[in-house]
Amino acid sequence: MNAVALTAEFVVRELRGRFSGSFAGILWAVFQPALQLAIFAFIFVKVFHAKVPGADAPGYLSFLAVALWPWTAFSDAILNATKAVQDNAALIGKVALPRSVLVLSRVCASFAIHVLGFVVIVCALSFFDSHVRLLTGMLPALLLYIPLFALALGFSLVFAAMQVFVRDLIQLLAQTLPLLMYCAPVFYDRSIIPVAVQPWLSLNPFTFYAEAFHALVLGHGALAMTGVFWALVVATLVLLAGYGLFRRLDRHFEDFL
Amino acid sequence: MSILVRTSGLGKSYPKAFRNSDRLRALWRLLFTGREADGIAVLSDVTLEVRRGESLGLIGANGAGKSTLLKLITGVLTPTTGSVAVHGEIGALLELGAGFHPEHTGRENILMSAALHGLSGAQLRAKLPQIIEFADIGRYIDEPVKHYSSGMVVRLGFAVVAVLKPDLLITDEVLAVGDEAFQKKCIAWMQDYLDGGGTLILVSHSMYHIQKLCRHACWLRDGRVEMSGDVFDVTQAYLAFQERKSAADSATDHARIHDTEFSVLDMRVNGREGELPVSIRDGEALRVHARVHSRDGRTPVVAVGIARADGTPVYGVGSDMDGFEPKRGPDGDFTCEVACDGHGLLPGSYSIRVHPMDPEGVRIFDTMDRSITVRGNSREFGLVRLPHRWSSGGESP
Repeated sequence: MNAVALTAEFVVRELRGRFSGSFAGILWAVFQPALQLAIFAFIFVKVFHAKVPGADAPGYLSFLAVALWPWTAFSDAILNATKAVQDNAALIGKVALPRSVLVLSRVCASFAIHVLGFVVIVCALSFFDSHVRLLTGMLPALLLYIPLFALALGFSLVFAAMQVFVRDLIQLLAQTLPLLMYCAPVFYDRSIIPVAVQPWLSLNPFTFYAEAFHALVLGHGALAMTGVFWALVVATLVLLAGYGLFRRLDRHFEDFL
Repeated sequence: MSILVRTSGLGKSYPKAFRNSDRLRALWRLLFTGREADGIAVLSDVTLEVRRGESLGLIGANGAGKSTLLKLITGVLTPTTGSVAVHGEIGALLELGAGFHPEHTGRENILMSAALHGLSGAQLRAKLPQIIEFADIGRYIDEPVKHYSSGMVVRLGFAVVAVLKPDLLITDEVLAVGDEAFQKKCIAWMQDYLDGGGTLILVSHSMYHIQKLCRHACWLRDGRVEMSGDVFDVTQAYLAFQERKSAADSATDHARIHDTEFSVLDMRVNGREGELPVSIRDGEALRVHARVHSRDGRTPVVAVGIARADGTPVYGVGSDMDGFEPKRGPDGDFTCEVACDGHGLLPGSYSIRVHPMDPEGVRIFDTMDRSITVRGNSREFGLVRLPHRWSSGGESP
């Protein structure tokens, strides 16, 4: 089984499926984030007058956008991939294929769309906000997507396998995943919450990524090497554990689909 | 000859998952104890071998586990007990359009199924024109598969397999859906494939196809191998079993049959009663004896027909055509016998049918049939031997 060609084929199918029937097609990958950013600009900046604390702080809109897009990739990947096995029940029942490819391709598709959106958004923001660093900030920041991808894939493998047995999981995830975002410094800076709570934020796996994107793209805060190290360790462990669990359960998918 | 597929002690049981709590319990058990819940066994202790070039036919009633066995061999299902070893590429053509996505075009689906067969991107693009050419469905190749007729779906599926030429082809009677021209193409390909050392696992309810394409057969019954071995032995045993079963069934509703105006009570072929196929030698006379019940005492017309095992009619004749009237016996039933001294049937399997008809010879009321096997070593082709003579062609007619 040529897994690379197969994954590529599934990713193409996935992307085509998401945009099929719409006139703008793949352009939605760019329109959608631009539209969303415009809405955020109106709500948070015009209505709520949200600001990032600090003397030389970046504009709130860029602050929000550079962490929100990685989050969207992460959560979109997990929510889509969790149903990957269940949605392909017909295929699984008839064709022998490595089932993890189904999960992998959905995670790939989500990341492809949202990384593209991220690049577009950061480029657009660089016109309005002098804090946005395109070459020195955005390019290294794209590397952050690698451990983030591994993390999302690891979680997706776990959830996709469990979803086969317990169909409530996707409902539960749709409700609880946003909680993870609110518990990470995406909409706010860590410095504005009570000091006693601040360290706890680091337990959230996404906290590192939110702050790392802020640091790299906007120069807001510093990127600690220990943070990078732990993020890599966590992403690797989650991926390995997820794959192990998936392999353990995937022999039995057909019986429960 | 190398072994292509070997299963040993193969078994599959499905977990009992009627309630949602069963699913949760199953997940828990699989995660933490690694033990499977006891389930309902659909296949147990299947041990068989398929060697390269020796095709296998799978027969059995619905629900005997044939599909489950195929799914285990293709790797779609994981065995509960035992193991499967496959040495080679498998191509499976099982259900109509399996693996095709209805929303996607034929071309996209070809790419996907080629990828599922393990082709890399470059190989895939090289083979694509060949596949499209073989499928030969014209502009439909760029239409979504949901707009296809079932014949087109089969063409597409077959085209992928035909071009990829797997070591082992697993299929059932889906090929029967295509039109005449495509079927010819399929059969030509199949013959070529088998001649070229290809191996087939065929599931079919048509013993004719099984006998034609396979050397070995395996009869599954209630998830177990009832018999396996030479194709003729197994298919004959299976047919005999089926007939015994249907005889037992028909005995229960014999009363209903008696209710119709005319019914066949029994028939004998060459003096032999019973459901087992009668074997006659090439050239031996064929005598068909029938006893017919007439509800209102009118004299029926009795029609006797011979058909090849696949249903192709060979010959049929009614007693009225020859001006013969069945004779009324002391018990009120009518008997008749038709003897065919030089029947000319070539070696093979045939079925003989007896139908009572109304005295006008218009309506058929009942059917009883028997299989016969004509044995012989003739190398002639076809169904019957026609009277013929050879000459140099010089003399005038």
